[in-house]
This record gives sequence, structure tokens and C-alpha cells, in this order.
Amino acid sequence: MTDLSNKTGGTGWNSDHFRKNLARRKRSEKRFQRIGLGAILTALTLLAILMFSIFSKGYTAFIQTSISLDVTFNEAIIDKDGTRDPEALRHANYTKLVQESLRARFPDVEGRSNLRALFGLLSNDASDTLRDMVMANPELIGQTLSVELLAGDDVDMLNKGYIDRDLAEDNRRVKDKELVWIDSLKEEGQIVTHFNSGFFTNGDSREPEKAGIAGAMVGSFYTLLITMLLSFPIGVMTAIYLEEFAPRNKFNDLIEVNINNLAAVPSIVFGLLGLAIFLNVAHLPRSAPLVGGLTLALMTLPTIIIASRAAIRAVPDSIRQAALGLGASKQQAAFHHVLPLSMPGILTGTIIGLAQALGETAPLLMIGMVAFIADIPGGINDPATVMPVQIFLWADSPERAFVEKTSGAIMVLLAFLVLMNALAVFLRKKFERRW
Amino acid sequence: MSFYPFLIALLLLSAAGYWFGSKKALGAVRQSTSFLTPRPHQFGLFVAIWALLPPLLLGVFWVVFQVMPLQLDAGTNQQIDRVFFPVLGLLAAAGGLFLAIRRIGPDLKVRKSIEAVVFGILILASIISILTTVGIVFSLLFETIQFFKKVPMSEFFFGLNWSPQTALRADQVGSSGAFGSIPLFTGTLLITFIAMCVAVPLGLLSAIYMTEYASDRFRSVVKPLLEILAGIPTVVYGFFAALTVGVFLRDTGSAIGIDIVSESALAAGFVMGMMIIPFVSSLSDDIIMAVPQSLRDGSYGLGATRSETVRKVILPAALPGIVGAVLLAVSRAIGETMIVVMAAGFAANLTANPLEAVTTVTVQIVGLLVGDQEFDSAKTLAAFALALVLFIVTLCLNVIALVVVRKYREKYD
Amino acid sequence: MQMQAETNLMSDADMAEEIVIETQDVNVFYGDNHALRGVSLDIPKHQVMALIGPSGCGKSTYLRCLNRMNDTVEGCRVVGKILLDGIDIYGPQVDEVLLRARVGMVFQKPNPFPKSIYDNVAYGPRIHGLAANKDELDEIVLSSLEKAGLLKEVQDRLHSSGTGLSGGQQQRLCIARALAVRPEIILMDEPCSALDPIATAKVEELIDELKENYTIIIVTHSMQQAARVSQRTAFFHLGEIVETGPTEQIFTSPIDERTQGYITGRFG
Repeated sequence: MTDLSNKTGGTGWNSDHFRKNLARRKRSEKRFQRIGLGAILTALTLLAILMFSIFSKGYTAFIQTSISLDVTFNEAIIDKDGTRDPEALRHANYTKLVQESLRARFPDVEGRSNLRALFGLLSNDASDTLRDMVMANPELIGQTLSVELLAGDDVDMLNKGYIDRDLAEDNRRVKDKELVWIDSLKEEGQIVTHFNSGFFTNGDSREPEKAGIAGAMVGSFYTLLITMLLSFPIGVMTAIYLEEFAPRNKFNDLIEVNINNLAAVPSIVFGLLGLAIFLNVAHLPRSAPLVGGLTLALMTLPTIIIASRAAIRAVPDSIRQAALGLGASKQQAAFHHVLPLSMPGILTGTIIGLAQALGETAPLLMIGMVAFIADIPGGINDPATVMPVQIFLWADSPERAFVEKTSGAIMVLLAFLVLMNALAVFLRKKFERRW
Repeated sequence: MSFYPFLIALLLLSAAGYWFGSKKALGAVRQSTSFLTPRPHQFGLFVAIWALLPPLLLGVFWVVFQVMPLQLDAGTNQQIDRVFFPVLGLLAAAGGLFLAIRRIGPDLKVRKSIEAVVFGILILASIISILTTVGIVFSLLFETIQFFKKVPMSEFFFGLNWSPQTALRADQVGSSGAFGSIPLFTGTLLITFIAMCVAVPLGLLSAIYMTEYASDRFRSVVKPLLEILAGIPTVVYGFFAALTVGVFLRDTGSAIGIDIVSESALAAGFVMGMMIIPFVSSLSDDIIMAVPQSLRDGSYGLGATRSETVRKVILPAALPGIVGAVLLAVSRAIGETMIVVMAAGFAANLTANPLEAVTTVTVQIVGLLVGDQEFDSAKTLAAFALALVLFIVTLCLNVIALVVVRKYREKYD
Repeated sequence: MQMQAETNLMSDADMAEEIVIETQDVNVFYGDNHALRGVSLDIPKHQVMALIGPSGCGKSTYLRCLNRMNDTVEGCRVVGKILLDGIDIYGPQVDEVLLRARVGMVFQKPNPFPKSIYDNVAYGPRIHGLAANKDELDEIVLSSLEKAGLLKEVQDRLHSSGTGLSGGQQQRLCIARALAVRPEIILMDEPCSALDPIATAKVEELIDELKENYTIIIVTHSMQQAARVSQRTAFFHLGEIVETGPTEQIFTSPIDERTQGYITGRFG
């Protein structure tokens, strides 16, 4: 060795020059590796920031502030005639009841604008709560009891710490006098928080404290149901045709190229297709889950076809040969053996496709699923919206309280997506077959 | 007769056909002496199909007929719907049933008949994807032609001014609206460019680290984590871009004395790039994996370090494939809608400054079509023209990318 | 079943050299590739016919013509006449599916369906409607397994997966599966090439027993196997039949020098 290096002098394997060069190369190697790792960590950090920003804003959406008040169910207000007629009870002035309770709690508030501010502490949902109580149990009339009533969104925001008390009064949504009332209520332990079940049972509302995602969830359910009922059978049939029966010719090549290209068409283009064909030509109802489902089905189809084809292709030929050798027809071989064996893969692909459809927004904007709809849809022809569109709508709303709702809705949507993907992973792991 | 009783009657009829067919076939099969005659249930299915197919075809005809712009008054329409169609449908079903039962006998190739029907259904299913493409092309083309009847092509493709207000009165000043789409294209390109500046280096370097350095355990944990980025709905990114990134950039800008609007191209582009990272990384991952081991071995055999092998051997070999992957990512970014709708501006700004607000093709499509629309106004039609351009551009990018990637793969197969 | 077997035995005794399959000048093309050139061969009933020859000589292609498995290969064209009991199996009246039920096939690699042993054997009878009820089906399954010499080994696990068996057992399961459709002819495409010597011996034993009731055509790479199991042998070379005759004659005094060269191991 020494001999060799001596002979070659300055450029030998042991020379200073070589050693320096090697050290430089080693450093550059380390650097390169660190850059790569850095890229991954950056991407993961971005993901973490995204998640954190959503979750930190959103978790409070599942909590709701109420104000506990002593309410006197004054017969003179609710049931002047004392008939206990349900019709009369239904139309009685419960708002007055709420206002009376607030005035009783804060007797020294005077003046119209001050009173309006005082009444604003409670959501206008409070009167509905009282009505429901009386309708359910007319015995309450004449009694006085402590009732928890939904707080208005400003109180809710303040209670959750989203409103800065130190801001100048002009820039603050909650004015000084309101702060005094709220603090007084707080001292008496009359401000209470609960799990926000209304978030999961209410439809959309202009009032943030009453807005829920039930309507959007039901809309998403109907839409996805239509999507699944259409895209799954059609996708599987197409995949079977292409893999098992299609002879190689121009027509089938066309189908194949076509499917690959459809997979890359921007989703919004499918929305325009839905608008032009389903709404303007076929005159199907606007904003309906039916049309949304049809549109998303066309969009999801290529994903399902491509995944199904891969699953079908993974079934070894020997299975087909065995069936054919026994005198099964090509179709019997395909439907009795190949299809059941590829089903786990097909289902995995379908679930992933449907998860995409569940998160899709843009095409649905085109077919009018973006309207404000307070009712929970009762069928596939009712006007409806879906969860991602609900998120879009709330994100556009100016009230501070809707930021929290938006983040909360995103968390629910992500939870559904995680569930679906977990199911797909489970299916793949459970039924994966190595040939 | 309304729809559901009709449907039930039809199903009952075909069920009866199934039962009768099976029964009759059982007798026929018993009598025949030949080996391996078809199963009775196949005969039953055969009869049932024959009972269902004719009314089904009739129904398709009727639906197509209704969609056609024929002027039938509502009364006649209802008459046909309620009386004429169900009666004809049931008659057709009964006729099919009768013919099918008469044909039952030892000579009937019943399996082949059933399989021919199944084959037909499979082909029909496959044609739906072609119909989708045809539907897209025709609906976009049709409206676009209408659009160009109202607005000259030269204005659309070369005009620098985009303000698609429609006039309330014909004599209003500046009433015609301006449909120069150049600012939209430049805006789209600017945001796409920013997105690529984020996604390509991060995605590519991640892929290199994953394939060449990472241990299997690292890979099995980190890869699914990165894939989460791809699974998050775009509306979530939009919300993140508008509320977190946009505001953060604006505040940082004002802290160091730079004016950044909260709807800056930078915010939208950055978040879009974030979304595309896993897309780039998994595509490049596949492509780098496809570089044959022999090339790596050759390089290591000469004493090259890993990074030298990556930079001097693997990347040049994989370059065409990576270019294809980037083209796919670009096409993805151009067609992305929700992020830009929520985080980019709405006013058409002809600028290359990433700190200003720009608008994109997809934002304008949404803007033009959401809300009340008057059909056949230039404003509405413009959306279809923009969508056609979008469709053609993404299609071309995809075709090129797929060809490039396929050529690349063939080289190493 | 038993009736049929008895008549078969009788006819076997009566006409020892009755021809079941008659092939006349068969040519097969895969696209432009001319894989079989003018093959004519008569296959006698209830004997084992071995097809030997070097790789790519067309013996498997020929075998797959006999039950029209070549139909499933795209671009494959068969010209010439193959008569089964005097009927051209490529004729317009013949349903290839029914043909494959009469001419069973066992493949090179054991390919049981990933289902239970019972379902593997029952699949054929089910699709062809060979059993009127569950008892008949049980009977067919058990007797087929018995005939394939597998029953004893799997009796207590009929409902466990067929893929859990050893290679040799899997191959015998495939044979049982083929027998369950009551074929007249069984084609075997190198049935032992994936098996170890002991499993091979068992399968060969089985082939020897089966020839009492079935006509068997076996493609094999192993000349010893051909010599052990077959009564007649055909030697294929470059898509043609070079020589055919009783096995003993082919191996002891071949006429053609290519045959001689192959069996003495000079090429192949």
C-alpha cells in the first residue's frame, strides 16, 4: 500500500490531497442527507401547523355557554285565559318571559338601548327552549325555577376567551356595560358550559350559537349514497370488462385512454358538466343531493375503475385457467372466482374514491349546493348542502363565532375521512393475499 | 298508474317468469338425454331477463324522448306518463315473457343468451366513461361557441382587462363588460409557479431521502403521514390559507414594513404547494424506485458516495420521469379551485408580484356561476369558455406527462 | 356413475384400440408465429399418451388445442381438424364450455381455488348442475377425492382451505376437481414439474390407476416419467410430430434420429 501511494505521489490513495477530498465528499454526503431529512421534516411541520391551527380554533365549537336564570312561568303572559289550550300555549309570548327573567336579575337596567343590550346576552333560541318546556309539561305554569338558557354568540366568545377585554371599547364586540353584567353572572355561577350537542343536531343558522352541521351531514350522506350506488357497480363492471373481456382493439384502447384522462380532469369541470347536463338539459332539481351524487359519481368513477383494475389484475391467471379447465365459461370464471378474490382491493379503492368525493367542494358549488339551507334534508330531492360546502359557507361568514364553527366542522369532516381511510387500511391488511 | 306500483308489477312478472321458466326447463331437461344440459335456474334467469329488457328499453326511449326539446303540453305528457307508458311497458314485459317461455327447449343455448346480455351490460357500463368525456366536451364547446358569438375571440385571448359585469341597461357606459382573460392566465401561472417552488423541492427531496436513505421503519411511519397531506379536503386548505397563512403573512409584512395584502398570491400558492407535496413525492418515489439497481451498484462499485450516486447517476437517469411528475403536478395546481376561491383575490390584476392579490381561472368560473345566473348572458357563458381552456390545458399536460413517463418506464423495463 | 364406469370397462375390453381423438393436419398460429405445423395424431381410448420434446416444441400448444384453452389466448388461430368421437371440436355447433367439461385439464402448477377443499371439488358439479341435491353433491365430492387418492388425507378437514395443502396434495386435489365433472379425457400439462419426487411418485401411481376409466394425455419433460406412465408416446420437435408409437418402441428403437438424439440426451 505505502509503496503504491509513494509511487503515485500527490494523487495516491493515501495522499493529503486524496484524504482532504474524501473528507470534503463525506461532508457533502452528510449535508445532502440532512437536506433530504429537512425536506421531510418541513413537510411534516407544515402538516402539524395546519392541524394545530384547526384544532386549537375548533375544539371550543364542541362546548357551549349557557346562562342559568330563574324563570317565572307567569300565567298572565303564557296563558291569560287559563285554558291550557296547546294552540294558545304554542303561540304565547315566550320572548317576554325571557326578558322578564333578565330584568328581574338586573332590576336597575333602564332605557331601551340598554335593555336591548341586556336581552342580547341570550340567544333568541332561549324563548324556544321555554316553549318546549311548557309544551312538554304545562304544570310548570305559575312556578319559578332555574333554567339554563343558551347564551348569545358574543357572550359565548367572551367566555371562551376569544374577545380581548383590554381592547378599547369601540373596537370590542362586547361593551363595558355588558362586561359588568357578564361578570356579575359569572360571580353568581350563572354562566355554565356544556357539551354542544346542538352542533350535531341542528341545521345551519344565521345565529352562530344555533348553527349545527346536522343538515350538512345528512346532505353529505345522501349525496355519498347516490355516488356510491352509481359509481361502485358501474366502476366494477367497467373494470371487469376491460380486464377480463375486452379484446384489444381501437375501441377498448379508447375507453382506457379516456379513463386515464378523466382521472386528471379538474373537479370543477365535472361541476360544469353537472350544471349543463343534469340541471339545464335534464332539469333535475337544483341544490339536490341527487344531482350532487350524480356529478360526484362521474368524478369518482375513474378512481374506482383504476383501483378495481389493479385488484383484478393481481388475481393470478392460474385461477382463471383452473376454472376454464373445468368447463366454466369466461363469465363464470370472472364472476365466481376473479371478482370475489379481487373484492378487498376493489372495496379499498372504492372507499378511497368515496373519501375523495366526501371532501369535494368545487363541483357542488356549480350545481347550487351552496345555498343557505336551514332545514335538514329529508330526501335526495330536497335542497341540501354538504359538509365541505358548509365549511366553505361558514368560512365566508363575518361573525367571529363562525371561525370556531368552521374549524369544528372541519374536525368532524376529518374524523369521517380518517374513519373511512382506516376502514380501507383495515380491509387491505385483513384480506391482503400474496400470490 | 304511478311509478312504484308499475315497478312492482314488473318485478312480480319477471319473478313469475323465473319460477315458470325454471319449472318448465326442469321437465325439458329431464326428458333430454344429452350430457350437460343447462341448469334450470339459467332458464329461469333467461325468462326473467326477457321480461325485464323490453320495458327497460322502452323506459330509456321515453326518458330520452322527454329530455328532447319537443313541445308536448303537460296534460299529454302526464297522460303518457300515467297510462300509456305503464300499459305499454307491462304489455312488452308480458310479450317478452311469452316468447322466452316458448323458446325453452333442449336446443336453446340459454347460457350464451344470458351471457350475451351480461356482456352488453358490461359494455354499456364501460361506455359511460366515454359519454362523460363527450358530455364534458360538448357542453363546454356548445356554451363556448355561444360565448364567442357575443364576445370576439381576439378580446378573450389577448385582452388585458377582465371585468365581466353585465349591463343593467343597454345604453350604460362601459356596459359591455370586458372579457380579456390574460390577467386570469397570468394569475393562475403565478400561483402555480409559487406552488411548484414549494412542492417540487420539498417533494423531490423527500422522495430521495425516502428511497435512498430512510430505513424501512422510518418509511413505514413517515410515508402515511405525508399521505395525510394529500387526503385533506381542499376546502380545509382554503380555510387554512385564508385565515392562518394569509393573516400571518400580512402581519409579518407589516411588522417589517412590507405591504402584503391578506389575499396575496403568495399565501394561496404556498398552501397549494403544501397540498401538492405528497403528490410530487409519491410520483417521484415510484420513478426513483424504477431506476434499476444495476445503475446504483455500478456507481457504488466505483467508490461513489450515496449523494454522488443520487446526483450524478440516479437523478439524471430519472429526469424524464420527474419532469413528467412535475407536469402532472402543474396540471393539478392549475385545476385546483377551493384554495384559490377562499384565499386568492377576485379582482383581475395583471401583475407578477406575489405579494399582491391576483385571481385565477377557477376563481372566476366559480364567481361567474355561483349565485343568481341569467343563462345566455356573456357573463355566464364566459365561465364555460374559461372551463374549456382549463380542460384543454390540463388534458394536454396530462397526455404529455403520461407519454413522457411511459417512455421513461419502457426504457428500464 | 357406476353404470357409466361399467359400460366404459366393457367397451375397453371390446375395442382396445378405439380412437377417441383424431387430429388431422392441425396448424396453430400465435399472431405471426407458426407454433404447430401440420400435426396429425390419433389418441386411443383408455390409455396414457405422453407428449415429449424439447421446450417450445409445441407439445403444450397441442394439448391446449384439445380442450380449446387456446381460445383464451389473444391472437391465437387454430387451423385443421380435431375430432372428438367423430365431431370437429372447432365446429360451429360445439360449445367450448361443454367441451372443457368432457375434456378435463390439470395444470403445471397446482392451482386450487382459494376456497375449501370441498368447494374446490364441488365447483365443477355445481356450475354444470351434476347434482340434484346436497347428498348427491357430497357423494360426487367424496368419490372424486377417493379416486384421486386424497380422501384419506383430507377426510377430517374437507372445509379447510385447499391452498393449505402440500404441493403434491394440491395437485391431487386439482385432479379430483377435474374428475368431479366426469370427464372422458384428462389433459395433464407437466403435472409433476412443481412437485418433489415422493409427491411425483404418488401422482404417477394415480395416473396409472385412472387410465382404467379415462383417456389421459400428459405433457412431460421427464423421459423417465413418460416411460413409466404411458402406453404410447409422441415426440414433438419444432412444432411438428417427429415420431409416434408405443412407448416401448420409441424408447428402445426409435426410427428417427432426432428422436434418438433427444432420448439419449444429446439435445433438449
